Amino acid sequence: MAEDLIGSDNPLSAAQRRTLNSVLDLIVPASADGAKPSAAEVGVLDYIRDHEAATLPALGNQIGRLEKEAQEQHGVAFADLDAASRQALVDAMRAADPALLRTLAVQTVTCYYQDERVLEAIGLEARPPFPKGYEVPAGDLTLLEPVRRRGSRVREA
Amino acid sequence: MADDVVDVLIVGAGASGAAVAWSLAETRMRIVCLEQGGWMNPAEYPSNDRDWEMRQAREFQTSPNLRKRPADYPINDDDSPIAILNFNAVGGSTILYSAHFPRFHPSDFKVKTLDGVADDWPIDYPTLEPYFAENDQNVGVAGLAGDPAIPAHQPPLPHIPMGRMGETMGRGFNRLGWHWWPSDSAIATREHNGRGKCLNLGPCNAGCAQGAKSSADVTYWPMAERAGVELRTHCRVREITVDERDMATGVTYYDADGVQRHQRAEVVIVACNGVGTPRLLLNSTSARFPDGLANRSGLLGKNLMLHPWGYVQGIFDEPLASHFGPQGCCILSQEFYETDTRRGFVRGYNMQITRGGGPVATARGGMASGAIAWGADHHAAFERVYDHNVHLGICCEDLPEEHNRVTLDAELKDSHGIPAPKISYTLSENSRRMLDHGLERGAEAMRAAGATAVQPSTSPMRYAGWHLLGTARMGDDPERSVVNGRGRSHDVRNLFVVDGSVFVTSGGVNPTTTIQAVALYIADTMKKNLANLFD
Repeated sequence: MAEDLIGSDNPLSAAQRRTLNSVLDLIVPASADGAKPSAAEVGVLDYIRDHEAATLPALGNQIGRLEKEAQEQHGVAFADLDAASRQALVDAMRAADPALLRTLAVQTVTCYYQDERVLEAIGLEARPPFPKGYEVPAGDLTLLEPVRRRGSRVREA
Repeated sequence: MADDVVDVLIVGAGASGAAVAWSLAETRMRIVCLEQGGWMNPAEYPSNDRDWEMRQAREFQTSPNLRKRPADYPINDDDSPIAILNFNAVGGSTILYSAHFPRFHPSDFKVKTLDGVADDWPIDYPTLEPYFAENDQNVGVAGLAGDPAIPAHQPPLPHIPMGRMGETMGRGFNRLGWHWWPSDSAIATREHNGRGKCLNLGPCNAGCAQGAKSSADVTYWPMAERAGVELRTHCRVREITVDERDMATGVTYYDADGVQRHQRAEVVIVACNGVGTPRLLLNSTSARFPDGLANRSGLLGKNLMLHPWGYVQGIFDEPLASHFGPQGCCILSQEFYETDTRRGFVRGYNMQITRGGGPVATARGGMASGAIAWGADHHAAFERVYDHNVHLGICCEDLPEEHNRVTLDAELKDSHGIPAPKISYTLSENSRRMLDHGLERGAEAMRAAGATAVQPSTSPMRYAGWHLLGTARMGDDPERSVVNGRGRSHDVRNLFVVDGSVFVTSGGVNPTTTIQAVALYIADTMKKNLANLFD
């Protein structure tokens, strides 16, 4: 099937993408109130392909390790494990190899916190800073009274 | 005609070169500035785009070794715990600076007399005061008069907004009885000289899309060009040439097409920062100057000072809207700026309160530190940090030591084949103690302000080598200095240095306002002494 062909536009197979989405959902699951989506829904793979394509081979290898471990331990695909089993398997593998999925986790939050739904959920307008900018209160200058009262502290030179 | 003789040739269009160009323009001399970078386009700065945080990280790396823009040159800083940072364009490193703009104190010019260390400067604060004021007007400095830590002055523009974050930290300093004040900031808080007012975009340190941040490309250069100064971009200078009378005759440079040219000049002014300037002079060897131009003292490149840096992050229960506002400008504390030997070190440091990160930086930093976890707890952990965090930077005075130095790398070269600089730097015991003290006091300030979690950085921070000072120091004694008190080389009478290289000591604050004041002072003394400039 075409979606199983790995190419520049499709760097992981369908099975690998399914595993990846399961991992992304472990890294940042949807919020309990549903306001924030799962990281599996924000286009992380597209982000990696567009900006950090050199990391794709390593990502494919790491997904392969998860798939292999799931098959060996449970006899099913990683994505078919229940959530607790997926978590336990990843935790055990990361305990033995802390670097596992570290790069993916950073890429995931990098992509996640640029997503429109996420930004709006944390109270930001999904827009660039310029040209609208932001309002910041000048602040209460009466707080400086104690500093003024202590007087000059300029060292004689 | 590139091979005409110009009256004044300036190398470098950053903070100091721009100020000098503007100041000298009123003489109506023919002035040319050569700059290895080009003009920046504010419409291309990251804050124009949704993905501004990642564009900043990808395209505006502070280290030239990581950034690798065509205008950059490599720097071997492997032998230093602090990486060298800069930017190469019209405006120089002010393109990426945070515009935190505190002045040196009067005591900074008298450290030998007051504290028995290093050397006094040949000039003092009262001498520079009118040039500080002139610079404040030219660049547009925001601030609040009345800071009891420094001599009285009146910033021309209203102070930068403190926000809830600044108020919170101010209350903390008050609980401790410590000094604090809204920072002088080189940011137009209202329209100034045709520039729009600050919009609180946030990432000043990735270039200001509004043009409110006072980088030299939007302050001095428009004025200097209107006054007749010629600025040639994408021109990288290879060496300064001299004649048998020990006078500079001009420079050899590569133009935008890579063609080697020679520009003759009556006066050469070097303004390439504390690494670029010694690099150029060390590359300018000849039979009469086999160890580099203006280096008969043997001190060229030595006494490099870098302002060792640390920071403390505080996380507060209440939301502080801390990621809004100019990233590096809010309030400062100079409680520990002056010497108190009971602390175990001499001289002191500035505490700079800076804003919290944007959402991407918060999440990435939190994951790296372990403060923001994976999984079901991720959202709660992120919300505890984002817009609830404050950073407190510790800027330590670095004392001059000859073994901290810039030399030429034996192998590394730039894209034109010009030998690159090599940095050799070790942190002194005095700086180590000062950093440790600052991190402890920073944590104390955070807790006094109400922080429920406090995280100090490793120190010295590696990517914090912005302030490049001391490598062509000024002084009255030709055996102990590279230039005199007017910025003129002791060895080459028509060669001047005007950047942070000439600093005798480093102070404990961000140096750009003092660099520009010194540059304006040197330019003014040149103007007043044109008839006998080379005597």
